[in-house]
Amino acid sequence: MPTTITRRDAIGLLAGAAAAPLLARSAAAQPAWWQTIPAAAALVGDAQPSGQGIAIELPLVSEDGSAVDLAVAVDRPMTQDAFVESIHVFARGNPSPEVAEYYFSPLSGRAAVATRIRLNQSQTVGAVAVLSTGEVIAAARDVTVTISGCLARDDTYAATDIMQTRVRAPERIAPGGAGEVTTLVNHPMETGLRTDAAGTVLPEDIVRRLIATFDRATIFEARFHRSVAANPYLRFFVAPPRSGALVLRWEADGGRVAEERLDLVVS
Amino acid sequence: MTINRRTALGLIGAASGAAILGMPSIARAATGRVVVVGGGFGGATAAKYLKLRSPDLAVTLIEPAARFYTCPFSNLYLGGLIDFEAIGHSYDSLAALGVEVVHAFASDVDTAGRTVTLAGGDSLSYDALVLSPGVDIRWGALEGYDEAAAELAPHAWKAGPQTQLLRSQLEAMPDGGTFVLVAPDNPFRCPPGPYERVSLIANYFKTEKPASKIIILDAKDSFSKQGLFTAGWQALYGDMIEWVSRTDDGRVVRVDAAARSVETEFGRTVTADVLNVVPPQQAGLIAQRAGVTNETGWVPVKPETFESQLVEGVYVVGDATVAAPMPKSGFAACTQGKVVAAAIIAALEGRAPPEAKWANTCYSLVGPDYGISVAGVYAVIDGAIAEVPGSGGVSPADADGAFRAREAQYAHGWYRAISNDIWGTA
Ligand SMILES: Cc1cc2nc3c(=O)[nH]c(=O)nc-3n(C[C@H](O)[C@H](O)[C@H](O)COP(=O)(O)OP(=O)(O)OC[C@H]3O[C@@H](n4cnc5c(N)ncnc54)[C@H](O)[C@@H]3O)c2cc1C
Repeated sequence: MPTTITRRDAIGLLAGAAAAPLLARSAAAQPAWWQTIPAAAALVGDAQPSGQGIAIELPLVSEDGSAVDLAVAVDRPMTQDAFVESIHVFARGNPSPEVAEYYFSPLSGRAAVATRIRLNQSQTVGAVAVLSTGEVIAAARDVTVTISGCLARDDTYAATDIMQTRVRAPERIAPGGAGEVTTLVNHPMETGLRTDAAGTVLPEDIVRRLIATFDRATIFEARFHRSVAANPYLRFFVAPPRSGALVLRWEADGGRVAEERLDLVVS
Repeated sequence: MTINRRTALGLIGAASGAAILGMPSIARAATGRVVVVGGGFGGATAAKYLKLRSPDLAVTLIEPAARFYTCPFSNLYLGGLIDFEAIGHSYDSLAALGVEVVHAFASDVDTAGRTVTLAGGDSLSYDALVLSPGVDIRWGALEGYDEAAAELAPHAWKAGPQTQLLRSQLEAMPDGGTFVLVAPDNPFRCPPGPYERVSLIANYFKTEKPASKIIILDAKDSFSKQGLFTAGWQALYGDMIEWVSRTDDGRVVRVDAAARSVETEFGRTVTADVLNVVPPQQAGLIAQRAGVTNETGWVPVKPETFESQLVEGVYVVGDATVAAPMPKSGFAACTQGKVVAAAIIAALEGRAPPEAKWANTCYSLVGPDYGISVAGVYAVIDGAIAEVPGSGGVSPADADGAFRAREAQYAHGWYRAISNDIWGTA
């Protein structure tokens, strides 16, 4: 027997009994995407994640890796008894794969978020959802990143009004229903990986958290890492049990915070 | 740019020239029928070069319009710099070359039986099929923007009556009015197109309606040749043009065409005197009918040949394809048409396709005498289309007026050259 054989040769040569260990080996050689990212593997732990009920929306081809639209939704009920506790997003091909985490509550109404992320190359983007029941759901999508010929861009950050926020929520939410909140905060999300013209590393400076409270109780929280695109943009749901005040609070490096208050009407 | 374009032509010459000369190494000459759907930049080029390089081949071009109006230079018409007929081209020279030009709409393709059905009911069989249908508007993808809305707030993103409608609205607009252009997210036809359009409309306003304003509401945070456009706008039009990025709430989520107003993501209402909506797009319908589109609505192709990744024997070129990093431009569609012609002739002759190279230059006019450009050469690198390192670039940021004026002349030269190449008309 030759010492090196191709996999196809091997399958052809060794039928029956020999095929089983071979297949096992090839499965081990190709771990699930989350096993290849330490933080994702730690999160999943001993759970056997299913891929059912989670949807990841990404362009197949992104022509601008600096801001790629991403939406993740987990189609599970959000009740006191059982709800989606968190969704964690990873970009395996980025310098640090952790992108963002979203923490939900039954008052989130829906475990669904949309944001814009940075992808510095074509790669796999994955999401892990952890349910209050301990169940884990995971899925991933491949995305091709290419800067299109006519789109040569420079990466200078133009906005001057850092920490300026925008929020939009429905004028009215039906009782028992969920309303979508769209929000954005101006911030360069400096990655800490770039250098200026003189070769000095620009220190990391990012928005770390967005906390949403309803009548003072936290109902949703997002944690951002350097792979969230400049001017963090987020859509998420709220299902307020009654009319009341929704307060959004952003916390950034350097002790910078911004707050917005909205009166939600449930009727 | 010129050199590389010539290289691409040279490759095609080498590929099919061999067949014409009957070189012994060639198994058989290309015969059979190639049907090309769409007589625009990609399709008309493919038809011409198939026939030119392989005269024994029966080449049928299906295109509903008797006269093709180009999107390139339609912005000059909108800015009042040229007549509408200056961007119109006939198919006479293609017919004279021996291409059978059928003025009809292809309604369906049976890729198993290799036939194309025309709207009238006739069907044509093919050995190889080329689709270059360009883009279709995704009606309704932007809330409130359907075909009826386009009659009030034109897109003018396909040259023709829409372009003329927008021009007549601009002419009727009183001085002091506001022109609003709604720009889409990527990918879309001609990335610099919206910004060239506002430039030449600003030029028209500057001379005819100087108190008017222009607002671009953009679904993006950056755009093609942004630095060059912005500097040019400053130099030529002062603060007439306001660009609102997605972050500054420029993304439009709803159109009220009757009121000529739009609503942005965070709830701002912007009302225009003339409203131009460049809506989300997808590959032309026939690509869907042929089963070559994927869930994005665009067509994935094999990089070397532009044959569909999904259906054998169907080649797709131009805006309908996913060819990034090559942009959705007329220039790119034209070089893709040439590469596809070479690939089809090679396939029909039982040879491997020649190595492909493509080129692109997008000229934009910021003013009548102020041109800017971005250029690139593309090849298959590691199995994917990629820009050849160091091949391209954009106009220098610090060029003087004479340089910009020369680039404006080059833009005119480019238009004459490509029109002459494709339709034999300049
Ligand atoms: C405002 C504007 C400015 C532009 N400026 C430039 C520029 O300066 N330089 C540049 O390189 N590019 C420019 N472009 C881009 C250029 O117009 C497109 O990239 C180019 O037209 C793409 O070629 P195509 O063959 O894919 O599609 P098209 O040229 O649009 O041709 C498609 C043809 O297919 C026909 N067709 C569609 N479906 C069917 C069917 N079912 N049956 C039969 N026929 C069908 C259509 O009638 C049409 O004639 C510009 C675009 C716009 C909108």
